Formats: sequence, structure tokens, C-alpha cells
Amino acid sequence: MEAAHETKPWKDWFAAYGPKLLLCARQWTRSLADAEDVVQEAFVRYWRHQRGLPGDPQALLITSVRRAALDLARREDRRAAREEFANGGLDDRDGCFEALPGDGDERRLEIEAALRRLPTEQREVLVLKIWQEFTFDQIGALLGIPPNTAASRYRYALAALRKELEPLCHG
Amino acid sequence: MDETLQDLENELLNLRPRRPSAALQARLEATLAASARTAPPGRAAATPLARTWQVWLLASAAILALVAATTFWRTPASPPAEPVLAQATVPTAASAAHPVAPDTGPVSESHYRPVAAASVLYDLKEDDDVYLSGQTPVRRVRYRYVDTYTWKNPATNASLKWSVPRDEIRVLPASFH
Repeated sequence: MEAAHETKPWKDWFAAYGPKLLLCARQWTRSLADAEDVVQEAFVRYWRHQRGLPGDPQALLITSVRRAALDLARREDRRAAREEFANGGLDDRDGCFEALPGDGDERRLEIEAALRRLPTEQREVLVLKIWQEFTFDQIGALLGIPPNTAASRYRYALAALRKELEPLCHG
Repeated sequence: MDETLQDLENELLNLRPRRPSAALQARLEATLAASARTAPPGRAAATPLARTWQVWLLASAAILALVAATTFWRTPASPPAEPVLAQATVPTAASAAHPVAPDTGPVSESHYRPVAAASVLYDLKEDDDVYLSGQTPVRRVRYRYVDTYTWKNPATNASLKWSVPRDEIRVLPASFH
């Protein structure tokens, strides 16, 4: 990810990376509204205080998003929210992805449903790997797990999705 | 990784995460614009979550300051220097504080200066007459005091008191009539 410079308008930066941040936040919050609150918190903190820091801003932001999601869960409803955090808490009504044209959207809905059924620890690794394009080292550092564990969870997640989803027939 | 998993990976990659809502964009715009108006770069009005952080930071700083102050009062860095006593030669039962002229040099936050010293005589006992070198008659008198010294930090107006017992034995010439 390109570093955000002082001169680059935040809107351009957010248009490029906001969707990925929201997708991650969605894995750790109970609703889309909560996810947006968390993204706002993390992004404002980054833009005000951290954008001049060296290193990968995306990793910094995702860490900030995760921390803000945990804080939110603790603040709102300590016990119940933590359970929901642990269980993913994804709401069926909120899609995580853009709608696809025609029949493709049915497939998207299938995938979203299958993703919701994944254990949280597998789903968060999958999201970080596929849509954030993090390495397993980065994922391990973010989640506090060894990179090999991250790689295993990723493989389990893909295998579980493949079981749930009919292979896509092309042509 | 086998081919079907690779296909699945590619299929997932084709899904595009949904865009944040216009409401979120508007909130960000308002928050960042407010920060640009009201604060220097790097500081601005806080969101609710940021305010929570600030409250915790302030509370932590207050607790640290309290612990540091408590530690300081309980364990003075060094034993007090010999203060200037305004008495000690003439026993008296009255208590009195004798301020010491304050030093007027530069003051630092951690510098304490002696400002008062008091000595309270609480017991006096005359022993039996004795003879020095077997010939000179003298009286031996024991005075018992509590000395109290006071230091003050001019920078913070904090003060420190130290009390210590002291025994003094005087040998006075005696004459017998």
C-alpha cells in the first residue's frame, strides 16, 4: 500500500482503502454501523497522529481497527459483546461485498453466507490474506499468533468454504 | 495448494468489499475539518472513542503522579542535613520555632530548604553529685528534647517535617555551702 502523504487528500486515500478497512472491521463488530464507527475512529486517529510514522500504514490501520472494535465491544456490553466478538456476530442483513450483476449476485450471497459460518479465527485470517493482501507473518503479528498457525487457519478456511460451496461452473 | 482451492481463492479475490456509506464519509469530513479548524496539525477534536482514550490517559497520569508523590514523602532521598538550631545551649521547657533565613538562590521543583527548627524539652533530671578527678565536685544534669526540623519547597509550597529525640548531659560546677 502506498504511504499516505501530507499532501494527499484524505478522501482519495479513504476511497482507495476504506472498503478494505470496513471489511476487516466488519469481522470484529456486531453490525455495519458499529464497523463504520470503528473505521471512523481508526482512520481519524491515523490521519491526525500516525500518518507521518514510518512503516506500513495499512498494518497500522488494521491494528487500530481491531483495537477499536475490541474497545467498542467492551464498552457497550461487556459480556455479551465479547461473546459476540468471539462468535463473529455477523448480521445476515449486512453484506460485506458489493453486489454483482445478474446471477453473479446469488453466488456472492452464497459466499457471504458460507463466510459467516466460518469460525471467527479462520474468517479473520482469510479476510486479512485475501482482501488485505497481508503475508502470514503480518497476520501473525497482528493477531498475536505464529505465522504457521495463520497459514493453517487459512487453509482450513479455504477447505471449509470449498466444502460448503458448489464449484463455480464456467461456460 | 490444489487447483480447486486456487480457483476458490481467485473467486474470492473477485469480490469487492463494499464501500463505506456516504454518512461515514460525511462524518469523517466533519471530524477532520473540525480538527483542521480547531487544533494544530496532529491534534483535533476527539471522537467518542478517542475521548475515552484521553480520559484513561489522564486517569493513568494522575495515578502515576500520586504514586510518585507518596513514594517521595515516605522515603526522603537523603538524611536531612544538619540544620541550624537557634537554641540548644539553654534548656527550656517552652517550645519554640526558630525560622532559619531562607536561601534566595535559584529554585528547582525537587529542592527543599530548611525553614524552621524547634526544640522541645520534655524531661530534666539531676543526678547525684559527682567528683571529677576525685576532687572537683560537679552536678550532672540530663536534658531530654525532641527536635523538629521543617523543610519547604518554594516551588511547590510543599513542606516536610522531621522530628528526632535528643539527650543532652551537662556537667555543671557545684559548690557546697
